[in-house]
Amino acid sequence: MNEPPQEPVKYVESKVYLPYDYIAGDYKARYLAALKDKRILGSKCSQTGKVFVPPLICSPESFAPCTEFVDVPDRGVITTFCTVNIPVIGRDIELPYVAASVALDGAAISIFALIQECKPADVRMGMRVEAVWKPDGERHGDHQDILYFRPTGEPDERPESYLNRL
Amino acid sequence: MSTLRNVAIVGFAQLPVVARDEHRISTEMLYPVVRQALADCGVERDAIDYQIGGSVDYMDGRPFGFVSALDVMGSWPPRQDLHLEMDAAFCAYYAWLRMQTGDCDTALVVGHGKTSEGDPDRVLNLQLDPYYQAPIGLDPTSSCALQASAYMARTGATDADFAAIAARNRAAGARNPDNQVRSAASAAELQKTPWAVEPLRKGYLPPVGESATCMILAAEGKAEKLCDRPVWIHGTDHRTEMQTLGARDLSRSASAKLAAEKALAMAGLPRASDADVVELYATTPAEELIVCEALGLDAKAARPVINPSGGPLCAHPIMSTGLVRMGEIFRQLSGRAGDRAVANARRGIAHAMQGHCLQQNLVWVLGTERRWS
Repeated sequence: MNEPPQEPVKYVESKVYLPYDYIAGDYKARYLAALKDKRILGSKCSQTGKVFVPPLICSPESFAPCTEFVDVPDRGVITTFCTVNIPVIGRDIELPYVAASVALDGAAISIFALIQECKPADVRMGMRVEAVWKPDGERHGDHQDILYFRPTGEPDERPESYLNRL
Repeated sequence: MSTLRNVAIVGFAQLPVVARDEHRISTEMLYPVVRQALADCGVERDAIDYQIGGSVDYMDGRPFGFVSALDVMGSWPPRQDLHLEMDAAFCAYYAWLRMQTGDCDTALVVGHGKTSEGDPDRVLNLQLDPYYQAPIGLDPTSSCALQASAYMARTGATDADFAAIAARNRAAGARNPDNQVRSAASAAELQKTPWAVEPLRKGYLPPVGESATCMILAAEGKAEKLCDRPVWIHGTDHRTEMQTLGARDLSRSASAKLAAEKALAMAGLPRASDADVVELYATTPAEELIVCEALGLDAKAARPVINPSGGPLCAHPIMSTGLVRMGEIFRQLSGRAGDRAVANARRGIAHAMQGHCLQQNLVWVLGTERRWS
C-alpha cells in the first residue's frame, strides 16, 4: 500500500539558472579598453556638446547622436555623497566609507565613486578629487581599474559649477 | 459596432534580423530604428505624444532593463510611457486603445531585446508554472511539438503537410532582405532535416534572432500629414487562454478564433479570406495550420497570400516578431514591400501571439481606406 506522506509537502525548491554572456557594445568596449591605459573616454552630444561618461550612443536629453569620443581627465568634483555605515553585499570596505557622485572635469553627468584617503566627516560637496588607479600591468579594462578617488587638496568648487551635473 | 476613432500605421522601421549583433547592446540597436521611423514620417520626437515598449528583461539579463530604452527614445521632457513584458504588437494594441480614449493622437511603439546573450529556451521555460511544467524542462520547441502531435491526431495532417508549409514560407522569405534566413528550401529538402522534437523537424523551426523595431501610430487628422499612404486599423481584438497547457485543446486556438471573429466584426469584413494578404506569427507549420483554421483561412489557397515576408520561419526576433507582422502588412498596403509586394493589396490581416502553444492571440484587420467616416 502507498502510504501518504507523514508531513504535507509545504515547499517546492525551484532553482532558476539563467546564464548570460553580455557583449559590451562598441561604445563601452572602447571605454573599457581605454581604462587599461589610464584614460577615461566620454562621448559628445552632436547637438549640445555635452559629454557623457561612460560614453552613450545618444544624449538621453537631446536625443541627438553622440558620434565623437573625447578624453576626460581622471579628476573632478564631488556633486553629492553619502556615508555608508552598514555592510553592503559584495563590497569588503572598512566602515564607515563615503560613496560619492563625481563629475569629472568636462563631463555633463557624474559617475559613482568610492572616496578614500580622508575622513568621511571631511568629505563635502564641491570637494576636488582624483582617481587612484591600479598599478601598471594590473588593469584589465573594467571598473575595478580605478581603485577609488581621493581629495586633491585644490580649493572647493562653487555649487553653480556642479549642481547641474549630479 | 459603434464608430471608433480612425487610427493608422504611419511608419515602421526595423533592423535586419541577425543571429547575434556583436557591436551593439539592445538599446544601441533600438536607437537608429527610432530615428529612422521618425525620419520616415518627417518629424522630430516632440511630434509624438505617447511611447510604449515591448521587451523582456530575462531575455537581456538586465533587471529593469526596459527603462534603459527610455534613454534612446527621446524621453525628455518627461513623456507618457508604458512598458509591456510582451511582444511589441501587444504594445501597439495598448497604444491604439489609448488613442480611442482620445488622450493622445500619436504613439511610438518599439520592440527590442537581444536573444543571443542569454538562453531563450531557459527563459521561455519560465513562462510555465514552477511546480509541474517548468521543472520537467518544457521549452517552446517541445511544447510546440506537443501541439503539433495533437493537431496531427485530430486532423490527419502529415509530415509532408508541415514540409509544404515550411517550404512556402522559405520560398517567400528569400525575397525579404530583413530576414535572417534568406534561402529557399524545397519541401523534400526540409523533410530530410532531422527531428528536433518529433514531430517537428529542424527545418520546421524558426531561427531565433535579434533585431529592434519601431512603429508609429497616428489618429485621423495627423496620420495623413505623417505618411503618404497611411494604413488604417479597421479592427482589432486580443484574447488570452489559460496558462495550464493541459487545460487547453492544443490542437486548436480558441483565443485566435475569438480574436479573429471580434476583429473582423469590428472591421465589417465578413471573412478573413476577404483580405488580400495575411501575416501570421506562427513559429511552426503546425501553428500556422492551427491559426489558419482559427481564422477560417485555407493555408494552401493562392489568396489571401499568407506570409509573403517568409514569416517567423525565416526571422524570429523574439519581442518583435509580432510587430514585424504588422509592419509587413503596413509595407504591403502602403507600397513599401519591394520584391515581395502582393499585387492589388488593399486589405490585410496581421496576427501576433505570445506564450506557449498560442496562449495569447492578437488580430489586426488593416486597410488602405479609413474604416469609419
